[in-house]
This record gives sequence, structure tokens and C-alpha cells, in this order.
Amino acid sequence: MSNQSLEAQVDPNLISGFIAELGGEASASVPLLQAVQSHYGYLPRKAMDLIIEQTEISGSQLYGVATFYAQFRLKPVGRNLIKICHGTACHVTGADRLNTSLKFQLNIHGEEADTAPNGSYTLVDVACVGCCSQAPLIVINEAMIGNTNGAGAQKAVRMHARKNGEELPKAEKQSINK
Amino acid sequence: MNAQSLQIIVGEGTCGIAAGSKEVMELFSEQAPAAQVRSVSCAGMCHMEVIAEVIDKDGKSFMYGKVDKKGVSKILDYHLQDGEFPTDLLISSPEEPEHENKQYLNRQTRIALRNVGQLDPTSIDEYQARDGYKAIEKILKGMSQDQVIAEVKTSGIRGRGGAGFPAAIKWGFAKAQDSETKYMICNGDEGDPGAFMDRSLLEGDPHNVIEGMLIAAYSFGANKGYAYIRAEYPLAVKNFGLAIEAAKAKGLLGEKILGTDFSFELKIKEGAGAFVCGEETALLASVEGDRGMPKLRPPFPAVKGLFGKPTIINNVETLSNLAWIINNGGAAYAAHGTDDSKGTKVFALAGTIKRGGLVEVPMGTTIRQVLDDIGGGSSTGRPIKAVQLGGPSGGVIPAELFDTPIEYAAINATGAIMGSGGMIVMDSKTCMVDLAKFFMNFNHMESCGKCTFCRIGTLRIREMLDKISEGKASMEDLDVLENLSRQVMSSSLCALGGTAPNPVLTTLRYFRSEYEAHITDKRCPAAVCKSLITHRVIQADCTGCTLCEKACPTDAITGEPKVAHSYEIHMDKCINCSMCVEVCKPDCILVE
Repeated sequence: MSNQSLEAQVDPNLISGFIAELGGEASASVPLLQAVQSHYGYLPRKAMDLIIEQTEISGSQLYGVATFYAQFRLKPVGRNLIKICHGTACHVTGADRLNTSLKFQLNIHGEEADTAPNGSYTLVDVACVGCCSQAPLIVINEAMIGNTNGAGAQKAVRMHARKNGEELPKAEKQSINK
Repeated sequence: MNAQSLQIIVGEGTCGIAAGSKEVMELFSEQAPAAQVRSVSCAGMCHMEVIAEVIDKDGKSFMYGKVDKKGVSKILDYHLQDGEFPTDLLISSPEEPEHENKQYLNRQTRIALRNVGQLDPTSIDEYQARDGYKAIEKILKGMSQDQVIAEVKTSGIRGRGGAGFPAAIKWGFAKAQDSETKYMICNGDEGDPGAFMDRSLLEGDPHNVIEGMLIAAYSFGANKGYAYIRAEYPLAVKNFGLAIEAAKAKGLLGEKILGTDFSFELKIKEGAGAFVCGEETALLASVEGDRGMPKLRPPFPAVKGLFGKPTIINNVETLSNLAWIINNGGAAYAAHGTDDSKGTKVFALAGTIKRGGLVEVPMGTTIRQVLDDIGGGSSTGRPIKAVQLGGPSGGVIPAELFDTPIEYAAINATGAIMGSGGMIVMDSKTCMVDLAKFFMNFNHMESCGKCTFCRIGTLRIREMLDKISEGKASMEDLDVLENLSRQVMSSSLCALGGTAPNPVLTTLRYFRSEYEAHITDKRCPAAVCKSLITHRVIQADCTGCTLCEKACPTDAITGEPKVAHSYEIHMDKCINCSMCVEVCKPDCILVE
């Protein structure tokens, strides 16, 4: 399954509802984008177009805001989101290894890729979830898994997949030729 | 003993939940259905999570830590069935109030943190039972704006967000402005990746923050306010939202508070993730719906801030001290601390430390006291090499300077900054070049792009650090690095660029030999920098268990399954990710 099929079908009524609730002035740009993202998991182009059409927020401002803040993403997400914390404490306790191990487990290869080929899980790096004493840690959707390591993170994802009927892709070893 | 008389209180902050407090709550409820099981906010004793307090029928309190499934059975066994006493889980009991595990809390002086872990943050009644909203009541019943400002001035409290500007003086500027609308903003955009005191305060004692906002708002006449809270802190947003509703329902927020002419309307703004929004003018731009880019000051926000109106921005921790100061007097607060820095400061202690979590100590306490007396020393058995203070804007302080007292001037003299209070402890396995690279990467990514030196300079610095960590740099590069760092600091508008090279300058100052090892010996002494290390199987110890081969994300490891001494790592295919080291049971993979 390619990323293409993860594109959301945007419901115009939903967007109008957000605008009615949060307002259409410039200061509503961040809350509007947050509302869209919490519904679709990312910011679909169509949703942003609708906001521009129906509010006084200009295209350049909305896109400018959407690309400025770390929280917003313009690419679709898989069915589940895994955040990998990269705060200082997580960094010094081996957060990079969590990326390596989960990318391997979920068969995510290449610099730009962040979603498993079957659309099951998306990996994102976050600056800090403020839970530094349990470093390093990951957050699968809402659930935090702390004091973990590469193998522990794989196990947590395996358990999550089993519990939620997700199929994990077959991990393929990369062939390295230095 | 019957279960009805038992009270079980489980800590349920974000750390507690990460450690499994939800399951522990459920297990207690299942196995002791008659007991009263309830949750409180996180006490900041993160190394002992999950924490549960049991109050027996005689009102005696027992505190247990590291409670898991087995722990629940053990605890209930003791309290309900006269089973064995769960010594291994004990933090404190009526017989042992000074138990070693309790020293972590006993050795602190908690003012800002006085309520966290003591109450249910979603209950306004519990906050009021602990003198909550007494300070604002006292003010509204008979303190003038000037009296409030004077009291807080006496306390000597300086802004706890990092800059350390005296809070009361800032309020004075805003009070002097004549404007119908003034804004009071709580800065809860805790951006330092390694600090979590604001999270704990917002989710663990939200009413205290609201009361602090009311006190500040009253002092300069603000009638509208926002709490700017990071979106990465969902529990803080939730608990703070509930607290606003509860306070409104009791007439403590909104129109005509407690029947007086003072009105204050408060809303939450969720931050969308930008470190630069810790800078006041950038935060304001963000609330106004723009990219969070700082503006030139003056005009200062106290004069011309949000939507052009006078605006005060105070940090969560600053606000959390205010109710206590009004209730107990500014002099009582100033009695803690030193001449330079009054009161207490909260630190988020994490990294390779035995007892990590939230620590509140009087200013003037030395770093060593925090690390040894409260933190219990290194968690790895390897000596502590340095602490990092002040996050990406701060610096490292090496072990030989651990007797430095924690106060603004003394910390600044080391090249680090007090910052918001992140204190990350590092042992010999942390590479200082890698750490500098980590922070420069962070600062580069978080630079808003307005000033050239910050936008491009931070990237150039990171590239030079890359070069050093790959063993491709020369000694001359160190001079260029230092020079460029100083230029970035002097040519940036805001504090992000103005402090961004601090991690580089302090690591260079105290750990220059590590930089030199990378450059001249092409060696990473901490065995961290991937280009300079190798992984090798000590075949004599290999059991042939196949775990390393399974964990390896490449085809670098080969061997005969179940045949001892047979596995080897092919360096031409190894990406030095260390996944094999994690899983190797006989610990026979050598990284050097």
C-alpha cells in the first residue's frame, strides 16, 4: 500500500464547523490547523484551501504557520502514530537507537520515509515530551512506554499491533555496501 | 483488617502513567474492591514510579515505590492478610519516616511544588483545603496594586523561565500604562528538551498557577489572559482546562471575582511546537496567529504587547510561587536563598542519576548537594562527568565545579545559565562533541530564520561539529568554531541566537581534550561518534545464541546458529547502531 491511499477525504462541512467554532480572524490560524490535524492526523491540502477560501487568513499566512511549527505535518500518517522523544535525556540514553530499531521493524527505509509500507505505523521525532526521568521513551498514539531501548520499543510495538489487530510488515535487512 | 478502611492513593502524572500507574490503579481496584482508590498528581519522584500511598484504618501512612503487578499483591497481602512487610518497595512508613528512599523528598524545600503529589489536581476543593485561593481573597479584601507589587518585590523573586528578570519590576512597567485592556500571559511553552517542571506544575497543581495569574493580573490591572501550553503536554492542557472551569463555577475567574470589581477572563492557547516561542515577542506573534518570530524591543510587551496592548508574560514556575509569597510574606520567601538569588528553584533532574525527578532547593545549594544528597549519585556506577544546565541555551558544568552554588551570578560565571531548570546528568559514556552537536542541531532547527547569523551560523557550526565527529577536522577548525560561535551570539536579535553556541563554548572550555582526541587521534573517547567506533564480537565469550544477528538491521552479522564462538561482525556492513550490544546476553560485543 502506498502513501497515496492514506490521503484523507476532506469533509467541507467539518472545516466550516471548525471555522464557526474557532473564528476566521488571523489569530485563529493555529487553533484551526490544530483542529484539522487532530481530526485527520495531518493537514490535507484540500482542508487548507477551504480555510483560505472561507476566512480572512491568507494562503501565505496559513502555509507559513503550517510549516513553521513542529507540530504540523503536511504528509498523511499511518493508522497509528509513534512519537520518538529526542529530548536531551533521551538523546544521551540512546534515543537514536529507537529510530534504528523501529525503522528496521517497520520496514521503513530511506531518508524521507516515515511510514510503514502497509500504512500501519508512522514514526515521528519529537523534541521532548517532558518525561525525562523515564528516558528514553516512545509514545504509541497516547500510550507512553518509558525506560526502554531498541529491543523494548520493538516489543511494545509488537504488543500494540497484536492488541489492535495491526499487521506488522516483514522486517527486511538492509544490504550495506560501503 | 477489612478493605473498607483502606485508602490507596496512586500518583498519576505523565511519568507515573509512563511507568504504568493506570494498570496499578486497576489492579488495586480489582483486588481490593472495598478500598478507596484514588489518584493524585505526580510528586516528582520519577525514579520511584509507580508510587502508591496506603493509609490504613488507624490513619497510618505507608508510601511505596516501584509498584508493579507483583507489588500490588505484596502490598495488599501485608495490609489485608497480615502478610510479609514489603520492605523492598518501601519509601516511608510511620516507623521509618526518614527511610533512605524518602530523603529525596525530605531534603528539598518545596514552595512552588508544595502541592504536587499531595492533591487531586482535578479537585478545586482539595486545593482550597490547602489554603488555595486564600491569597487572592486576601488581596481583593484589602491590598492595593502597589502593595501586591511591593510584597513580591520584597520576595526578590526573579523570572524562573530563564532570563531571571525581577517579576515585580516588570509588573510595575505594565501598571504604569493607561489602557482599558491589558493581558496577562502564562508561559507554559516549556521548550527546553530536558525540563519538565512546568508540565508537572500545570498538570499537578493547575489552580496554583491560576491563582498566581490572578495575583499578577491584579497587580497591573489585566482583565484578559492566556495560558500558552505546549501541545505535547496533553494532560497539562486537560487538567488546566478543568481547573479553569472549576474556578469559574466558584466565581474565582470571570466577571467580578469574589464580588469585587476585579474581572479576569482566562483561556488556553495550545502552543504548536517552537522553542523560540519561549522568547516573549515570539510567543505573542504565535498567539496572534503568526509564525513565532521575535521582534525588536523596545517597545517592550509591558508597554505594547499582545494586539498592541500592555502585556505581561510570566513563567509557570514564577506564578506557582506567588500565592505562597502573598500568604506568607515576601520576607519569608527572601529568607531562602542568597543575596544574589532569593527563594527556591525547581530543577528537573534526569540522565545518569540514581534518583531523578523534580527537585526544589533553596538558591545557594551547591550542584554537588543536589546530585549526591538528593539525587543519590550516579546510576551507572561510572562517575558523573558533568551536568548540563539551561538546555540548548545553556552549557555543561564539569565535575570539578560541582561546588558552585546554584545562583544566577555563579552559574553564569561557569558559562552555563540557570535557564528554566533542566539538569541533565552525564557519565563517561556521553561524548561532549556529540552533545554539542545535538544541541546545535536543535538550535539550528529551532532558529526562526530571521537573523542571518543565527539561521546560517548555527548550521555552519553544526557542520563543523559533524566534521569533528567524523574525524575529518583539523586543529585550526577549533579556532574557527570558537570565533563563529562568538559572532552568532553577538549578531542575533533574540536570546535563542544569543545563547545558541553556549553548549559548544562550554564543552570546548572544559572538555577540549575530547575535541582534540576526535581530531588528532581520530578517536571518540566515550565510544559514541559512529564514524570513529567499531563493533566487534569477542568470540571467546560468544554462545551462538543468534540474538545479535536477529537484531541487526543490516546483514553485517553472520555465524552458525547455536554454535559457540562462531559469530562475527563484518565492519564493511556495520552501521554502528549498537542494536546487537543491547540484546547480547553474555555482553560479548566490544565497542571502541
